[in-house]
Amino acid sequence: MLMQLTLSGASQGAIYALVALSLTVVYRSTTVVNFGHGDLVMSGAFVAYVLVVGLGLAFLPAAVIAVVAMFGLGVCFSRGLIRPIRGGPHIGFALMSIALGYTLRGIARTVWGREVLPMPRVFDIEPIFLGDVVLTGDALFTIATVAVLLGLFFAMLTFTDIGKMVQAVYQSERGARLVGINVSRFHDLSWGTGAALGAVGGILIAPVSFLHPDLGASFLIKGFAAMTLGGFGSLGGAVLGGVVLGLAEQYAGAYIDTALIDITAYLLIILVLLVRPRGLFGRKAVVKV
Amino acid sequence: MPDTLLTIRDLHVAYGPKPILRGAGFDVRRGECLTLLGANGSGKSTSMNAICGFVRPSAGSVSLEGTELAGRPAHAIFAQGVAQVSQARDLFPDLTVEDNLRLGAMRRGGRESGETLAHVYARFPRLAERRAQAARTLSGGEQQMVAIGRAMMSRPRLLLLDEPSGGLSPQFCEEIARIIDQLKADGVTLLMVEQNLNLAFRAADRFIVLRDGRVVDGGDVAAMAGDHDAIVRNIYL
Ligand SMILES: Nc1ncnc2c1ncn2[C@@H]1O[C@H](COP(=O)(O)OP(=O)(O)OP(=O)(O)O)[C@@H](O)[C@H]1O
Ligand SMILES: [Mg+2]
Repeated sequence: MLMQLTLSGASQGAIYALVALSLTVVYRSTTVVNFGHGDLVMSGAFVAYVLVVGLGLAFLPAAVIAVVAMFGLGVCFSRGLIRPIRGGPHIGFALMSIALGYTLRGIARTVWGREVLPMPRVFDIEPIFLGDVVLTGDALFTIATVAVLLGLFFAMLTFTDIGKMVQAVYQSERGARLVGINVSRFHDLSWGTGAALGAVGGILIAPVSFLHPDLGASFLIKGFAAMTLGGFGSLGGAVLGGVVLGLAEQYAGAYIDTALIDITAYLLIILVLLVRPRGLFGRKAVVKV
Repeated sequence: MPDTLLTIRDLHVAYGPKPILRGAGFDVRRGECLTLLGANGSGKSTSMNAICGFVRPSAGSVSLEGTELAGRPAHAIFAQGVAQVSQARDLFPDLTVEDNLRLGAMRRGGRESGETLAHVYARFPRLAERRAQAARTLSGGEQQMVAIGRAMMSRPRLLLLDEPSGGLSPQFCEEIARIIDQLKADGVTLLMVEQNLNLAFRAADRFIVLRDGRVVDGGDVAAMAGDHDAIVRNIYL
């Protein structure tokens, strides 16, 4: 029982980790909290859905195209709608991201109404039984994909010149400009990366749950909860927070009350903000939202 | 006529409605160290920032060997070989000394960056000893060395130094003066803001004075030797 819960919690948590990380990527580089992020996650899933169900593409190429498309959308959003309002009040960014989110959601609703769409399963392999634990292909695929992606992400951040430049911008934007980094373009690429990573989350969840235009809202909150748990603004914290949230939902749902699954995220946000505002892993506070 | 690297004409900079530079103009000659003097708030840092693209001039021209820089973005100006050591230093606090230095060469400096790094370490042996230490753990003087070293890593043609002695000891000022001599020997042209007149006159070839947003005075340092009082009166009164 515990093993089974841990497995499904980890697979759910992997998605949350990805969503929280992608939110943090945008937040750290631009200081913008992207309230439209859930809808980017949803859009990524829908683009993949259209390619698979509408055009008959295989899952993998469809997923890659969807991720690239969402990267492009993120870059265009930053370049076209965020850059022009950069001199203005900070709240403008939040409003702009909310407007983007609702626009995407509106488009999805116009096309699909409030239908709930099943995405074909990717790994329709026979579940593997290990004792009384059931390993589904989807869970394994999700956990493995996220693990590889996160491994690559953090390796790049730590060991490559590009990663050093990213850290440089995070630590001092003026310093980054002093060493010739094009900070505006960096912001655009961060939005692109955030949108692409979020889309991966949406695409991974699509085959195991149902697609609907309002899918994004719950992911946004899960992402915020994971970020709060990990210390708002910390990249590694977002990942750990996502996993902890995924596990907490499953344990609370099984051992206390199933109703708790849906509200664990909100409860954790409230609890952490009151008791440990810097997050579970206690990094130094990261400034302004 | 001396060979000019940077020509500034009729430069206007304002923060909102508040004008700071109002028609400043001067030349920086190739291979010299020119010191910009002026009272606090007279717009010295603003001039540096206007040259390297951190603030956008509202009018006027900044020309590097005929290439117009005014209005271009900071990274494009950096690519032309203009680097600044800013007054606040703006290091990357959690990165190591070595990473801070290497970052200076990532967008410019290219293939020789290994060589340049060795050169910087030779100039600043203290940094070589502390290469794996986070920049925030260094003393103020060491941090200034990192800031200067980081700027050197891009092999600039024009190096802007904003108050390199700020808050540092007299021995350190002497060290800065030696570094400036060496940079000049390497063919780097320098524009420096410096409140410490001893350093300013020890290291510089010429000086100019900024007041009310314009250049009001200037001359050869050698010719002014021993007459600091006159200059001080001109700057601060
Ligand atoms: N970003 C900014 N926004 C608004 N005003 C500014 C800004 N930067 C500088 N100023 C103002 O412009 C004026 C000139 O500032 P600047 O930093 O160029 O002076 P400075 O000559 O370098 O002075 P110091 O010797 O104290 O370093 C000051 O009155 C300052 O308050
Ligand atoms: Mg200044």
